[in-house]
Amino acid sequence: MSSSQPAEADAEVESESESFTGQGLPRVEDHRILTGEAEYVHDITPENCLHMALVRSMHAHAEIVDIDTSEAEAHPDCELVLTAEDLKADYNPMPTGVGRVKIGGTGEAVELPEWSLADEKARFVGEPVALVVASSRYAAEDVADLVDVDYDTLEAVADGMKAREDEVVVHESIGTNVVDHEHIEFGDPDAAFDDADRVVEGEYSWGRISGVPLETAGVVAQYDDEADSFDIDCNIQLHTLVDETIYETLGYDADDVRVNVPADVGGSYGTKIAIHRYCCLAAMASQQLERPVKFEEDRLENLQGGDMHSSDREYEVRLAVDDDGTMRGLDVWFVDDFGAFPRYPINQVLKPLSVLTNSYEIEDVSYEYDLVLTNKTSQTAYRGFGVDPHIYALEMIVDEAAREIGTDPTEFRRRNLIRPEQMPYTLPSKNIYDSGDYPATLDRIQEIVEDERDGGLLDPEVVAAKREEGKYRGVQPSVIIEPGVSGSDWTDRQRSNRDALEERSREEVEELPEHLRAEISEDGTVRAFLATDSSGQGHQTLVSQLLADELEVLPSDIEVGYLDSVDAPTEYGSAASRMAVMLSGATVGVAEELVRNLEELAADHWSVSTDDVSYQDGSVELIDGDDSLSLAELAAIDADGDERRTRASYDYDHPATELEEFDEALTGKLPVYPTAAFGSNAPIVEVDVETGEVEILTFHTVRDCGTMLNPMIVEGQAHGGIAQGVGAALLEEFGYEANGQPQAITLFDYLLPSIENVPKIEMEHTETPSPFTETGAKGVGEGGMIDAPASIATSINAALEPLGLDEPADRIPVAPDHLRKKIRDREQ
Amino acid sequence: MSTDSTDGIDGHVTEEITVTVNGEAVTAEVEPRLKLSDFLRYECDLHGVRVGCEHGVCGACTVQQGGRTVKSCLSYAVQADGAEIETVEGLASEDGTLHPIQEAFHETHALQCGFCTSGFVMATKELLEENPDPSREEIETGLADNICRCTGYQNIYEAVERAAEAMED
Ligand code: FES
Ligand code: FES
Repeated sequence: MSSSQPAEADAEVESESESFTGQGLPRVEDHRILTGEAEYVHDITPENCLHMALVRSMHAHAEIVDIDTSEAEAHPDCELVLTAEDLKADYNPMPTGVGRVKIGGTGEAVELPEWSLADEKARFVGEPVALVVASSRYAAEDVADLVDVDYDTLEAVADGMKAREDEVVVHESIGTNVVDHEHIEFGDPDAAFDDADRVVEGEYSWGRISGVPLETAGVVAQYDDEADSFDIDCNIQLHTLVDETIYETLGYDADDVRVNVPADVGGSYGTKIAIHRYCCLAAMASQQLERPVKFEEDRLENLQGGDMHSSDREYEVRLAVDDDGTMRGLDVWFVDDFGAFPRYPINQVLKPLSVLTNSYEIEDVSYEYDLVLTNKTSQTAYRGFGVDPHIYALEMIVDEAAREIGTDPTEFRRRNLIRPEQMPYTLPSKNIYDSGDYPATLDRIQEIVEDERDGGLLDPEVVAAKREEGKYRGVQPSVIIEPGVSGSDWTDRQRSNRDALEERSREEVEELPEHLRAEISEDGTVRAFLATDSSGQGHQTLVSQLLADELEVLPSDIEVGYLDSVDAPTEYGSAASRMAVMLSGATVGVAEELVRNLEELAADHWSVSTDDVSYQDGSVELIDGDDSLSLAELAAIDADGDERRTRASYDYDHPATELEEFDEALTGKLPVYPTAAFGSNAPIVEVDVETGEVEILTFHTVRDCGTMLNPMIVEGQAHGGIAQGVGAALLEEFGYEANGQPQAITLFDYLLPSIENVPKIEMEHTETPSPFTETGAKGVGEGGMIDAPASIATSINAALEPLGLDEPADRIPVAPDHLRKKIRDREQ
Repeated sequence: MSTDSTDGIDGHVTEEITVTVNGEAVTAEVEPRLKLSDFLRYECDLHGVRVGCEHGVCGACTVQQGGRTVKSCLSYAVQADGAEIETVEGLASEDGTLHPIQEAFHETHALQCGFCTSGFVMATKELLEENPDPSREEIETGLADNICRCTGYQNIYEAVERAAEAMED
């Protein structure tokens, strides 16, 4: 259990304010970080600790003929060398995301095991083949160099579309690379496409990008021989959900494996969900040696084979439209590249169903995908969880349709927007948008754009003069939805029998609440414990701020810590724009429970009824009497009792489980996101037609995430998301050669946006509270990354419109070489 | 400050160095290949020095050596023999009062996960020492060697400007 004492909160804010919720209170997390006192996982090195290094495959696809460990074992600093053979004797393979793959016409189901070390065959560059343990990290790397692996190389496949042809098969036991496929139809898309005046088609690709947190993966594992149990400190995300993967692989019960995530994690953005391989390997090594074992992933490992890439996709999209500008039908087909193994949890192909038609009203939709394996690093989640490419492809086809029918793309969008009187709005795919006025947000962003045309960045004279210099400016506003607050029951749709889902009952749906505990300490301060991990989102601040209001005390009277996997119930945790909603709901609940308890405690103490006492301002008062008990006094009284009434815990139910409107989606394992934050963007871009380089001059955005609990954190999340969206749109990509060699294995090749690349963000907010959540909050963790790439791409198309190019931004990233080629091809 | 080393001494070539770190002299036996960043993190227990890439791109490991910022992952501890190093741990005053740069980062929410933050704070320190009133362009140039993956950079500009103001007073 780790905890932290809040830093001195701002006295000024505290004394002047009635309510802390809704204020931009500076974070309690900051002090320890700014002074270098924060303890990230890499900072933990127990006494007697050994260090692990991994031997990784340099081939994308190769038989492992022989592994000679003798020289490594002879190194004086070497303590242990393990290969797959050793693991298979004592442990299990890692759980995968597609349990069993049905093959051929027979439909026979075949297992697809992934061992923590490559078994007989290496399937991607960077796949761990052996582990070594030595006295220091430096020595471990020396020893790893001495492990001699004899490979027989095979032809590799590194392109998702090509992999579908099964010429090179990544797993011969199943004989195909297409491990999952689904075609879902909503309404009557065939009829819509037949009836519509025209059908517009487009092909778009989304490159392999990812979160690339500055802190790489880290683990410190200690096996306790006497108790036959493990203690694992690591920076895994969702440690109360994906801890299962660790227990299953080790073959131990949950109670015997304590997974603890430090209070400070150096970024995750979804990607650290998949680092359980390291946790297991370090745990196994520690069990073999009966000493603590530490692993610090280095950046090269992280970029090439660190299980931290997200998916890449090829889209073929069709939109059926009438000449009057009505969107009639949508048809989305795509291939999603998993990499070498279907990792758990995986379903980035399904979450887009929760925003199937973005902000538009389209009833008839076809959605179809192939999930394919290739000789690339396996995919994990990344901020947006597959929604970002979907929104991008959709916005591109909408633009293209506007061009084809010769209408203004903004007017075309407006005509088809879901209207406020339709809220709550049920999508064809059964998710529900809670609230919002989309036309109004488009109006506002259009006003801002008009202002820029009036003597600003888009002043016609300036635009014309710039064009003379070969610099093309443009913008294309749009309205984009950020689905929030996942309940993850749907994420194992691909491990379920989908035919059986038709008959699934509501009782079988797994509920995913969020847990919070609180207790009064003897000095009268309040301690709260989060069951989730966090990586910079300010959860401690949020809870202390809200709890202070609920208990009518000061945020500095509240200390917030974390529970490890054994103490925390198996709840869902930090993911999918979820925590503001779930933690705020849980905070209100736990405070109400605590107040009830305290009133009972005081009533018993005074031997009166609870009607005669009342809680306020951090004490319980005797009504009609002049006695009161402070929190410290109540804690002292409670210390003598048998049941502790100065403690409370609360599970805030997921909003969708409370509302029967979501039942159809829940029982059908369709993604359910009960909040729809939304916003309109207008990034003004300038493309240099000589170099193909894109500069974003200003990123205008109007955003609505319901009630803003802490506006400073809300803005911070949006800034960060937009910065990552800029990187995705213009810079980042894990490129691969056809033979599966990764091309981006240092930060010189995988380009992260620096202060020079991220534009000025001009942000406005509106607040439309969610009717579905306790506090009206909607969640903000993924916005920016979800909406910026699409908006930047359509703005690039708009900027280059005068050149008559055919959708220049048809791939992400829209890197300079791509644009240059498009421009030159046209000139010839 | 602890100077005990778990790195293998047996059979490894080592050299004795003395480095002044945040005003205190530290003498240690180190392997010539020990990176300065690892020396500071593990020999001197200064965990505020973070390593994000260990190849000179991210700037998380930025410290001051002889008053100028260096990326401590790009040099070896032996090269710092006799040098004066300052890390983020040396900034706040004895009584715990934050340095104006630290305070400004806090007030403007210029950090989220915080992994990049000590590097940014140290780069800002050099920037403001050289140029107490930098323009946005000068801030951009001054911080272009550091990456933050969480916050975007808008609040970082603001932190630098606020720190500049505070330090002027
Ligand atoms: S760790 Fe030194 S620059 Fe990244
Ligand atoms: S705050 Fe996370 S990398 Fe900068």
